[in-house]
Amino acid sequence: MTEGPRAALGWLASPRVRPLVPLVAVLVLGAVLNANGAFFLWQTQRAVLREIAVEGILACGMTVVIVAGGIDLAVGSVLALSAVCFAWLTLPHGWSGLAALLVVLGVGALAGAVSGALVAFARIQAFIVTLAMMVFARGVAKELSGGQKISNYVQAADGRFVNVPTPPLFGVLDGRVLGGELSVVTLIFAATVLVTWFVLRRLRIGRYLYAVGSSFEAARLSGVPVRATLVFAYLLSGLFAAVAGICQAAQETHGDPETGLGYELDAIAMVVLGGTSLAGGRGGVCLTLVGALTLGYLQKVLSLNAYSTELRLMLTGAILILAVLFQRRASRETS
Amino acid sequence: MALLELRRVTKSFGRTAALRDVSFELEAGEVHVLAGENGAGKSTLIRIVAGALGDYAGELRLGDRALRFDDPAAARAAGIATIHQELSLVPSLSVADNLLLATPGSPFALVDRSAARETAKQALAALGLRVDPDTPVEALSLAERQLVEIARALMSKVRVLVMDEPTSALPAPDVERLLMRVKELAARGIGVIYISHRMDEIFRVADRVTVLRDGARVLTARASELGRDGLLRAMLGRDLTTPPAANAEESRPIRLRVNGLACDSRPRLEPVSFELRRGELLGIAGVEGSGASTLLHALFGDGTRIRGDVALDGEPYRARAPAQAFARGVALLAGDRNASVLTAQSVLENATLSSLRRFSPAAFVRRHLELGAVKPETERVRLKAPSLDAACGALSGGNQQKVALVRCLLARPKLLLLDDPTRGIDLGARADVHALLAELAAGGTSILFRTSDITELTALADRALVLYDGRAVATLERRELAEPRLLSLMMGGSA
Repeated sequence: MTEGPRAALGWLASPRVRPLVPLVAVLVLGAVLNANGAFFLWQTQRAVLREIAVEGILACGMTVVIVAGGIDLAVGSVLALSAVCFAWLTLPHGWSGLAALLVVLGVGALAGAVSGALVAFARIQAFIVTLAMMVFARGVAKELSGGQKISNYVQAADGRFVNVPTPPLFGVLDGRVLGGELSVVTLIFAATVLVTWFVLRRLRIGRYLYAVGSSFEAARLSGVPVRATLVFAYLLSGLFAAVAGICQAAQETHGDPETGLGYELDAIAMVVLGGTSLAGGRGGVCLTLVGALTLGYLQKVLSLNAYSTELRLMLTGAILILAVLFQRRASRETS
Repeated sequence: MALLELRRVTKSFGRTAALRDVSFELEAGEVHVLAGENGAGKSTLIRIVAGALGDYAGELRLGDRALRFDDPAAARAAGIATIHQELSLVPSLSVADNLLLATPGSPFALVDRSAARETAKQALAALGLRVDPDTPVEALSLAERQLVEIARALMSKVRVLVMDEPTSALPAPDVERLLMRVKELAARGIGVIYISHRMDEIFRVADRVTVLRDGARVLTARASELGRDGLLRAMLGRDLTTPPAANAEESRPIRLRVNGLACDSRPRLEPVSFELRRGELLGIAGVEGSGASTLLHALFGDGTRIRGDVALDGEPYRARAPAQAFARGVALLAGDRNASVLTAQSVLENATLSSLRRFSPAAFVRRHLELGAVKPETERVRLKAPSLDAACGALSGGNQQKVALVRCLLARPKLLLLDDPTRGIDLGARADVHALLAELAAGGTSILFRTSDITELTALADRALVLYDGRAVATLERRELAEPRLLSLMMGGSA
């Protein structure tokens, strides 16, 4: 290879630029296949930012767990459970939005804390614990809802079906701000990214999370409260899954026990696509944001160009592998 | 003609010469012990023989052929089998399956289970081991696994057998049995290269001994002609030294009082009692498996089923987890770098991990506080790192260990436990660490350190406790700290 291309490759592989390469590649692809300029419209950007929000919130919690050396497969189910709980409390039971919100956040955090405790204290593999929690939480969601979507069309005391008013929180969460130019869920996603960044990079526990994920043994011998740290990681993931579930319920205006199927895998894909290693101890939420945008824009480019769902799935799978291969090659070449 | 011969082999890692112009001959049917202190070049030599290092100067001859192995499989095919300290059996598979893995054949060949079982039975019986071939390896004792490992090595045609400290983790009666098997193998015409740190064992098993020191061959001699004193003198490179003047200060208050401390973690520790004064450096001498490391980890709240009484500054002390030990002012530095530093994290993050509370008032980490505390400490230990934000994994072993030491120092320990702190680090870094430990002790920190390097022990320790096979066999005052005596005690000999 001559000097020019080698230098260019070196630049692309440098740690600062590397994570952005797949995103830029997808954006370039979108600019080329722009569907008669539709790709360049603000409403397209707005749609992407809205569509990645719910799974992006899950991916933030997933980042924390993966940094700590674990995995959380339960987030999709905890999202569904939270959506069902939120609808169940507000619609048939008439709770205020705020009260229901607090309770549902508690439910999500509890589900996460249980997973975390099983991983940290019972020393069961995270994959197994969260797989079990995934099945369990889905079961609770179906039990609570009787297998039906919980909407504002409810059976009153006298047996007749009536429409009850949905709390204003639904409308707020499903709405837009800035003169209709930005979705509220996008803002919530942004806030989640910020909180996660703050936890990982500014708080003491952030250091502990990286330490535990990097080497459990070395962290333990350094006096890190390793078990509490692990519980916290899963608790935060459960809490974020509840946030995502409430957003999901507001957007769908009902609580669907079948919602969020497979979301955990999309969340993991966002984390991995950003370049955070599943081995733990490395990476961060900024990378996950890039990964979420990459995945979101990829879907948008493919759908704007009217590729079939089948083809979109196949292409997404292939591109995921390509991106990870690139990240790994690049990190090998710079180290 | 020798069975295996190394001619003028030289091997360097960077600027350090691991082997310098070493020649070595192994005859068929002999047990040839390779002796020397840690870092003398023993492991480099056997890695070359085993085919794990192909890049060296000099010649390796097997019989009348000059060979150069570039991977272990090539050495194995030529008839050289190596048994490493860490066994390479698959724990979840049965004995028969483990032996089957070593037999050549197509991956898709049908497995004749009864034949495999029969072969395994015979192979094990030949070594005097009677276990059901269907037993999973993880259910066997360490000694039995060792024999299965040997049986596996012998499944193919073996002319040279290399054994790297095969007895380091074995209890005494099993050692005896293993040594008998080794002599039997030699009697069958196999050449055995045997590495051991145990004095009595060396003289029971060896026909000849080659001593390496600082990468060079010091001598090769018949074991019967060499004698213990001769071996010790060759390993140390000087005559029996007169011990330095006594340096006891009985007036200092007692910091740690250990009474009948025992621990069932492996390797186990039988009840041991001792005292450690303020500002005292107590060395624990013991080879791998002697229980010395277990003692340190038990004091650090990192052992299972700990018994006995411990008092720290007169208060009862029992840590159930390392975090509790830190809270009482006890820190540990592990020699195993996988357990001492986080390679993916920066120097700064590693350094403050144990004392992060001080640098994160109200849970917020303050970088300027960290930098203010870490910078002077890294200068004190003469850390060489591109920056404090460099990943710890990018540093040399010695510098990684210095980072771990800074982490311990920032926790301001009253009692510092060091588990072979200078293992595998270069001489310069080692000297820096030694100077720092002496300085800490002068400042009142009590230090309890284990080392496998007795030069380090005699240079640093005020007193030494010698452990062998889980028992405390001697306590030596500074004036009694002579290297030959220590070495002999560490290897289970008498003083």
